[in-house]
Amino acid sequence: MASTVSTLSDSPSVPRKRRYMDRRSLIPLLVFLPPSLILFVTFVALPMVDAASFSFFDWTGYGPMTDFVGFKNYQDVIFHRNFGTAVRNSLIVVAVSMLIQLPLAMWAALALAGTAKLTNAIRTLFFLPYMLAEVAAGLIWKFVYDGNYGLVPIIGDTIHVKMPFLLADKFWVIPAIMLVIVWKYFGFHMMIYIAGLQSIPNEVIEAARLDGVKKWQVIRHIKLPMIWPSIVVSVFFSITGALQLFDVIIPLSNGGPNAASHTIVSFLYAFGILRMKLGFGGAVSVLLFIACVIVAVVYRRLLFTAEKD
Amino acid sequence: MKRIALAAMLGLMAFASAVQADTVVKYLNIATIPGEIELMKKAVATYEAAHPGVKIELPSLENEAFKAKLTTLLQSPDAPDVFHSWGGGVFYEQAKAGVLRPIEGVLSQQAKDDEGQAGLAAFTAPDGHVYGIARDVAEVVLWYNKKLFAQAGLDPASMKTWDGFLEGVKKLQAAGITPLALGGKDKWPAHFWWAKLAVRLAGKDEFNAAAAGQGDGFSGPDFVKAGDTFLSLAALHPFQEGFQAATYGDASGYFGDGKAAMHLMGDWDYGAMKDNSATKQGIPDADLGILPFPTVDGGKGDPTDTLGGLSGYLFSKNASDEAVKFMEWYNSSEVQKDFAAAAYYIPITKGSADAMTNPFKVQVAKDINGAHWHALFFDQALGPAVGGVVNDVSAELADNQISAKDAADQIKQAVDDGK
Repeated sequence: MASTVSTLSDSPSVPRKRRYMDRRSLIPLLVFLPPSLILFVTFVALPMVDAASFSFFDWTGYGPMTDFVGFKNYQDVIFHRNFGTAVRNSLIVVAVSMLIQLPLAMWAALALAGTAKLTNAIRTLFFLPYMLAEVAAGLIWKFVYDGNYGLVPIIGDTIHVKMPFLLADKFWVIPAIMLVIVWKYFGFHMMIYIAGLQSIPNEVIEAARLDGVKKWQVIRHIKLPMIWPSIVVSVFFSITGALQLFDVIIPLSNGGPNAASHTIVSFLYAFGILRMKLGFGGAVSVLLFIACVIVAVVYRRLLFTAEKD
Repeated sequence: MKRIALAAMLGLMAFASAVQADTVVKYLNIATIPGEIELMKKAVATYEAAHPGVKIELPSLENEAFKAKLTTLLQSPDAPDVFHSWGGGVFYEQAKAGVLRPIEGVLSQQAKDDEGQAGLAAFTAPDGHVYGIARDVAEVVLWYNKKLFAQAGLDPASMKTWDGFLEGVKKLQAAGITPLALGGKDKWPAHFWWAKLAVRLAGKDEFNAAAAGQGDGFSGPDFVKAGDTFLSLAALHPFQEGFQAATYGDASGYFGDGKAAMHLMGDWDYGAMKDNSATKQGIPDADLGILPFPTVDGGKGDPTDTLGGLSGYLFSKNASDEAVKFMEWYNSSEVQKDFAAAAYYIPITKGSADAMTNPFKVQVAKDINGAHWHALFFDQALGPAVGGVVNDVSAELADNQISAKDAADQIKQAVDDGK
């Protein structure tokens, strides 16, 4: 996404504008734009406007919205006793994604960018968790962590350590969930990086090697700068994905124990939708949307300046 | 591609069946046990044979999926004519929104007599209209494992009072037995404890006043005491390890496997406990018992008060007269006695519970009939917004994470918010 923006900014904008006026490009525009535009409007833009309008009403989801309450829902969300935890958890997910998941993905990508059969096989293996449905992944790990029948107590028994019930403990539940997230998504980012790495012309690297550049320096000064656009995209996906994390949480911990592991979206679901407080849910979604827009805008700004330098 | 073809086929099939019959009655239910679904189909076949031109459809959804889909479904053209309901707050919302059909004009006197005054009242909305028919009653009871009690040398009769109960819990622990199973992740099982104590301590009138937001409401001393009493149990760490992450099914299986001595759960756990156990056999009837819930000193509730459910069927806005007629017949003792005999639930219809042979179900039916007040599950009675908070704080009390006063205040605040 961000890379599209940078190409747009690179090209001079004036002739581009004139081209839009051109009749010959107007026809394809009219033919090809409507399908995606209609889909976007009906399934993305309109529901968003809808959710925003819910947020000003006290509404159970039944019948017409009549009870206008102004900003009360927003006030309720911000002062809700579990909202702070949900925000903190979402920020932890962002941090873990940035500081652990992406470096791990980069390391795996650098090690597995080759074309040998074995590296190919390992790559697929790492990518598999990403292909797995979120709910299925959550259920699998719920069984792994189960304190009575799971894999964790079996490991504990063999090394003679009493393992805690990870998902029942308000401290351990967070690292347990983070492990699942890193496991599930690092393969995706690895693939983005590998695609970038494979597009680097071999000559560049060979030339550097001939000049006696060390392996680490090749990575630092050639590979990383050349796959910068891939990194930009992957970081962006990673942040927005982390802010919207939901489907792994529900089967794994359902936000528990006692609301200790809610993310912003699972908080929205548990306290808004399940309680038939759609206005409250709408307010959470608007706040989340604003947060995502801020991230997107700030991120692009930062990148513009970085590219201009 | 395959999926599209399949969907098209299903759509065609649905269309074809709609064309064939003159009137289609769609009864959306929450039955999941294969034997129960078989019985339902049998009843439908009998009715269809006697009433040509009427076709009954029986779509089933699992509990949680049902709750999640119902709101949207009822406001769509695809709304079922008849659907399962637990009554209480959610039913009142549906009635208020006008998605239901009042049936007092169609409902026969026979059907009203069959379900009795309690049944009729449960499906009458605050606007005075009757929107449904009651089907069954359920009670939350304290199941116990006689074998484990004997192993700990514990006399069940010593646990009639709360103090005696706490002593019993300690005795079980001293014998190395987990006293109680609890599905803390689902939260509603924890709410049974707080609700049972509130029924004992505050009683019917105080509960109704609190639910209506009068006076101190749920912040009142009796509700705080219910929390404190629960905390006195939680302080002993009586539940299985990791109960905070256990679902109802996990806890039910834990009890069914004979790993915990007691389980505070609805009478339906008789079957579920078997189904959830590792062997699928559960605890044999000879080793299974029901303890009376301990009495608490100074409680304002009547000792006969019960906590449980009273569920039934509601009719959606577009339901036909045929739908009401069919459900009247379906709910008659002629049909319901089969469900009673199979012990799937305890039918409310007069005469049908006579077919019950299961001693536990018979006892529960007797309890409810003799109750001064059959309190509806609090999370149903108070509606999803307040009920959800009751579940939250109950789970926190079980885990010693909140004070009784804070818990009570949270519930009061939720009631006030909804006013």
